[in-house]
Amino acid sequence: MTGRRPRWVTIVLLLAPAVTVVGVLFLGGLGLGVAQSFGYLPFLHGWHWGLDGYRALWHDPAVTASVGLTLRVALVSTAVATVLGVAAGLLLHSLVRGRRTVTAVFGSTLAVPHIVGALAMVLLLSQSGLLSRLAHAAGLSGTPAHFPALTADGFGWGIIAEYVWKETPFVALVVLAALSGGIGELRGVARTLGAGPWQRLRHVVLPLIAPAVAATSVLVFAFSFGSYEVPALLGRPYPAGLPVVALQYQQDVDLNSRPEAMAVAVLIAVVVAVVVAGYLALIRRLSGRPL
Amino acid sequence: MNLRPARALLVAGLLALTACGDATGDRPAAVSSDWPSVLKAARGQTVNWYMYGGDEALNSFVSRTLATKLKPYGVSVNQVKITDTVDAINKVLAEKQAGRNHGGSVDLIWVNGENFATGKQAGLWQCGYDLPNAKYVDSTNPAVTSDFGVPVDGCESVWQQAHSALVYDSSKLAASDVSSVTALFAWATAHPGRFTYPAPPDFTGSMAVRTFLYDTAGGPSAFPGPTVAAAYGPASARLWQRLLTLAPSLWRKGQTYPVSQADVEKLYGQGEIDAYLTYGPGAVAQQVSKGVFPSSTREAVFRSGNIANDSFVAIPANAAHQAAALVVANQLLDPATQLALFKANGAYPAIDLARLPAAERQQFQAVDLGPSVLPLSELTAHVQPELAAAYVTRIEADWKTHVLQR
Repeated sequence: MTGRRPRWVTIVLLLAPAVTVVGVLFLGGLGLGVAQSFGYLPFLHGWHWGLDGYRALWHDPAVTASVGLTLRVALVSTAVATVLGVAAGLLLHSLVRGRRTVTAVFGSTLAVPHIVGALAMVLLLSQSGLLSRLAHAAGLSGTPAHFPALTADGFGWGIIAEYVWKETPFVALVVLAALSGGIGELRGVARTLGAGPWQRLRHVVLPLIAPAVAATSVLVFAFSFGSYEVPALLGRPYPAGLPVVALQYQQDVDLNSRPEAMAVAVLIAVVVAVVVAGYLALIRRLSGRPL
Repeated sequence: MNLRPARALLVAGLLALTACGDATGDRPAAVSSDWPSVLKAARGQTVNWYMYGGDEALNSFVSRTLATKLKPYGVSVNQVKITDTVDAINKVLAEKQAGRNHGGSVDLIWVNGENFATGKQAGLWQCGYDLPNAKYVDSTNPAVTSDFGVPVDGCESVWQQAHSALVYDSSKLAASDVSSVTALFAWATAHPGRFTYPAPPDFTGSMAVRTFLYDTAGGPSAFPGPTVAAAYGPASARLWQRLLTLAPSLWRKGQTYPVSQADVEKLYGQGEIDAYLTYGPGAVAQQVSKGVFPSSTREAVFRSGNIANDSFVAIPANAAHQAAALVVANQLLDPATQLALFKANGAYPAIDLARLPAAERQQFQAVDLGPSVLPLSELTAHVQPELAAAYVTRIEADWKTHVLQR
């Protein structure tokens, strides 16, 4: 069959569905969003190209406060989930018995949507949630107001808790997959050469899993920076997560808020793109390093 | 954000839209003057009704009671649950921009206030219909002829009344604590952390701030007209000062506010707060009987009065199933349907009970919502109207700047 058709035609045909989806839905949507952020509002009389949307961001406390919160939440979530995930992955790998069962338990959280996780955090962490009730029953706290505010809190602990709960198993499973290669032999070789457990971890295991872990943590960062439902359910109205702010402006009855809404969305995309570029540079260094 | 010129631009833009769209040209006039032909056209149609979907009692009223009552007409109703009416408006606006002047996907929207005004300026609504059951509505009532200061002009049909009230736990607050805004604020200051309101632009949070504004300025008469009057400046400055003084005594010391009314009611149900303002006092009875709220829950209206408005349904001019949407709007005004709605979630009748035969009127008065809910006579004794939409937008933006982001 491929004999009668040039090879490049086959490739183009096979790629067409994926390219169409990416091109039309992703690039098209992104292009329209960028255009609107620069003032392209053909349905409004007197629209004009300009930087008003971005200038408004600069002077808008809702946005400036949100950038700090969103960055903080994404960085802390990523760091904690990566450290815990790597530790859990290594621990799981070292299990002799019951590894499959424990791994399955870890994997089960992957199927839970973030919105369900966020609601679970509300039930667990809010001032009248399960933890607060347990603390009350144990005589540790009096009224709900005495329990520390973990949801709708100023730092974003509730949001961080949800991301860590959801992403730690994700990192752990990636670590397990990276370890499933010929790592046992490599460690054996290192041991015969006189390497202690710490040296084996430091010089054999960690370099081996580093590229996969770096890739995963970039995914975790990009997701937690751009996700809407978790900060919407667990955050404050001010400062809110950047995606929440974007939707607030998108839903404003004043259609002139649209450029600002889109500018916030573009800002999210730019930050994530910069982080991914940084990751690519990092991964090149990591994979260049000899084991 | 520079709001005023922005808003003027919006209006200009929307007016331009109206001018170049088909709204001025071939809008069907008085579509329902021939009711039998409307009924005929409606048969077999399904109405996509975009409405707030967070009220379970109301959802069940739509999917069961209303659906059953529509069956004889061969009309079915598909409730499209949304959290914010502006989503439905955006959908219609987007379809209009795309040139879809017929066969639109939104047939009916539960709408009022700002969103009705936005849609009216953009020429989104089907206007000028007269429904047979409109005879039960008091057409001289200003609450029915204008919606947040915007003349209705036959572009929407009323379907329920909303009165605001204070809901409180009578085991924590005395009747004297809820007699006025000043008394409530004094109680809140003495009991820190036990009162709050949702952050505007939440619909109820926005109403709460307007209630406090009325109390500060001596009533809505200080703010006449469709555009923001000069008196608003000094009055609002005093209001923000008052709210900032109150803030440290609110839930979470006023450092943050609940995002939605649903969150506020959850806080009350879980005993984190002892009082809140509501726009749905009738629904409180169910929460008490289900045990979600304490049985000592009561309602009160401030001496300075309570804000009320009427809820409407509007039909987009490009709706695919206009005839069936008219049938639904008409059915909502049917006295038996209004009674069922009142019983289902305590939504007060939009029709004028004085126009009903004595026996039917008696049925409305016999509905017992329990001791928690204020009787209609007390709820309606000091009713105050809503402000024009321009004020509402301005107050929401100013509250954000002066209270939330201080």
